[in-house]
Amino acid sequence: MSGEAGIHGMLGGGGAGKRSVLRVVLDGLYLWAGYLAGFFLIMILLLMMALSLGRPLGINIPAGDEFAAWAMAAMAFLGLAHTFRSGDMIRVGLLVDRLEGRRKQIAEVICLLIGIGVVGFFAWHATVFTRFSWILNDRATGVIPVPLWIPQLAYCSGLILLTIAMIDELVHVLGGGTPHYEKPKPKTAEEVIEQALQSAV
Amino acid sequence: MDLVSISLVLLVFLLLLLLGGVWIAVALLATGFVGMQFVGGGIPAGSVLATTIWGNSASWELAALPLFIWMGEILFRTKLSEEMFRGLAPWLNRIPGRLMHVNVLASGLFGSVSGSSAATTATVAKIALPELNRRGYDEKLSLGSLAGAGTLGILIPPSITMVIYAVAANVSIIQVFLAGFIPGALVMFLYSGYIAGWHMLHPDKSPPAEPKMSFSEKMRESRNLIPVSLLIIFIFAALALGWATATECAAWGVVASFAIAWKQGFLSRDNFWMSVMGTVKVTCMIMLILAGAAFMKQSMGYTGIPNALASWVDGLNLNPYALIAVLTVMYIILGTALDGISMIVLTTAVVLPMIEKAGFDLVWFGIFLVLVVEMAEISPPVGFNLFVLQTMSGRDSNFVALAALPFFFLLIVAVAIVTVFPGLVMWLPRLVFPG
Repeated sequence: MSGEAGIHGMLGGGGAGKRSVLRVVLDGLYLWAGYLAGFFLIMILLLMMALSLGRPLGINIPAGDEFAAWAMAAMAFLGLAHTFRSGDMIRVGLLVDRLEGRRKQIAEVICLLIGIGVVGFFAWHATVFTRFSWILNDRATGVIPVPLWIPQLAYCSGLILLTIAMIDELVHVLGGGTPHYEKPKPKTAEEVIEQALQSAV
Repeated sequence: MDLVSISLVLLVFLLLLLLGGVWIAVALLATGFVGMQFVGGGIPAGSVLATTIWGNSASWELAALPLFIWMGEILFRTKLSEEMFRGLAPWLNRIPGRLMHVNVLASGLFGSVSGSSAATTATVAKIALPELNRRGYDEKLSLGSLAGAGTLGILIPPSITMVIYAVAANVSIIQVFLAGFIPGALVMFLYSGYIAGWHMLHPDKSPPAEPKMSFSEKMRESRNLIPVSLLIIFIFAALALGWATATECAAWGVVASFAIAWKQGFLSRDNFWMSVMGTVKVTCMIMLILAGAAFMKQSMGYTGIPNALASWVDGLNLNPYALIAVLTVMYIILGTALDGISMIVLTTAVVLPMIEKAGFDLVWFGIFLVLVVEMAEISPPVGFNLFVLQTMSGRDSNFVALAALPFFFLLIVAVAIVTVFPGLVMWLPRLVFPG
């Protein structure tokens, strides 16, 4: 956890000494949604272990599979803003990484505008989708008839948060800042290894 | 507009976005959206998007993905790489090439618990590279074999790449995993054979043998590898004997990795949270790409492009070997610009119907794809393994790329072998899942 705090201290602390309330609230939102995603990861592990151990013992977790599926979706969407901010959302850097100064800023603004448009559209329709589940009172078809809007809440809120993070980033880049998702080129072998791990390929 | 022009428009659009540096997931979503605009009948793009992606993401099978990633994250933070070097080195004195084979064997071992090739390369190279240099082994061969063998991380199960393919292509994760074992062994055999052959041709470049050890001494050096070996055997057995689903198997793997980390004294609170948050970031990145791919696939399906392409290729009456040769060249070119995950999701949206029509098994094709993704990992200018080794060795990119070239060709040989003998891939999955 100290690593995360360290990175965030570094990011927030560029420029002015005092951070605005909005800044603190937004950074906190991204980070805590990320922690919540981490919580759902742990839930997936516990659920799968319980399912696997319970079967030979004759203990059955009602709708365990469904809960694992929802935890999976919740994790995937709640962590998006944090992932985006940390620069772990991959892109082809072949051209962008070679630009500098004004051109680089323009390229980043265009990318962010496209991102905001697409993710915003997605977030909007995910919200509509969740609202319909709520209005129509859709329920899970499994053993426990959980109202579907509850797990879907993580779906739309994660996407809304990602849209906000992108707008946040756009404002920052328009103001002349270096995007937060820009990772410094790794210098030591340790840093290379850390980044290799994050690339997942 | 006819289908050919629509396909061209979409292709150019996607390439522009990707090369312009738009996040891959966003580019896929945008292309899917544009594709929907060409579909008649007024299907609302927005609701198709929301429904498709929710259906694809809330998946119990997909939960294997973060768990396997987590497992790699934990083991990566242990001293496994040191133990692998110490444990493997004493056994290799008699083989031509001696300790150079550690690169291949250790990568194979780590690949059996890790699903990522860059992490495998980095973990093995961390110890092996300085140790081999110190003993006077040829640096070029050492770097090349590390780059090549590191890609075993995605060929030997568990493999993040395979989970992504299996989910995107809608085939069984376990079958694709099982299909990877024998090709993994084949690639290891090719690499080790090359290393041995090289040393027989250059006897002057073989450093002297290590001091002799008795059998019990060797065993003592290797005993730290027992927990990892047990974990590998357990994963294999659980998959092959059908004890557990892939997701359960992954959960057990995470628990076992925690046990190993705890025993070595690496399970601190900081390490635990770092592994959790690291896993969250990798998973979210992949899941959004998968979401984009799912929507694009849906949209492509509505436009009818993949089926038209499949019929067109079918009409050419290509020899299946020619088709695979053409695809291999296409992927090698794609691999110079794109990462493995993007290559796979793009493929499943467009190429799969063609492959099915040509009579290839989708499980077999998954292994083919993993092999070409491995090539992409070690081909310039964006091969990630090359980049890792470049920084770790301090050599320039040309040196590392040239060093990896023989291993690139060995992967092409592997593709040729599994194409001519598809049984190497399909034997194990057919044995476990007859019919």
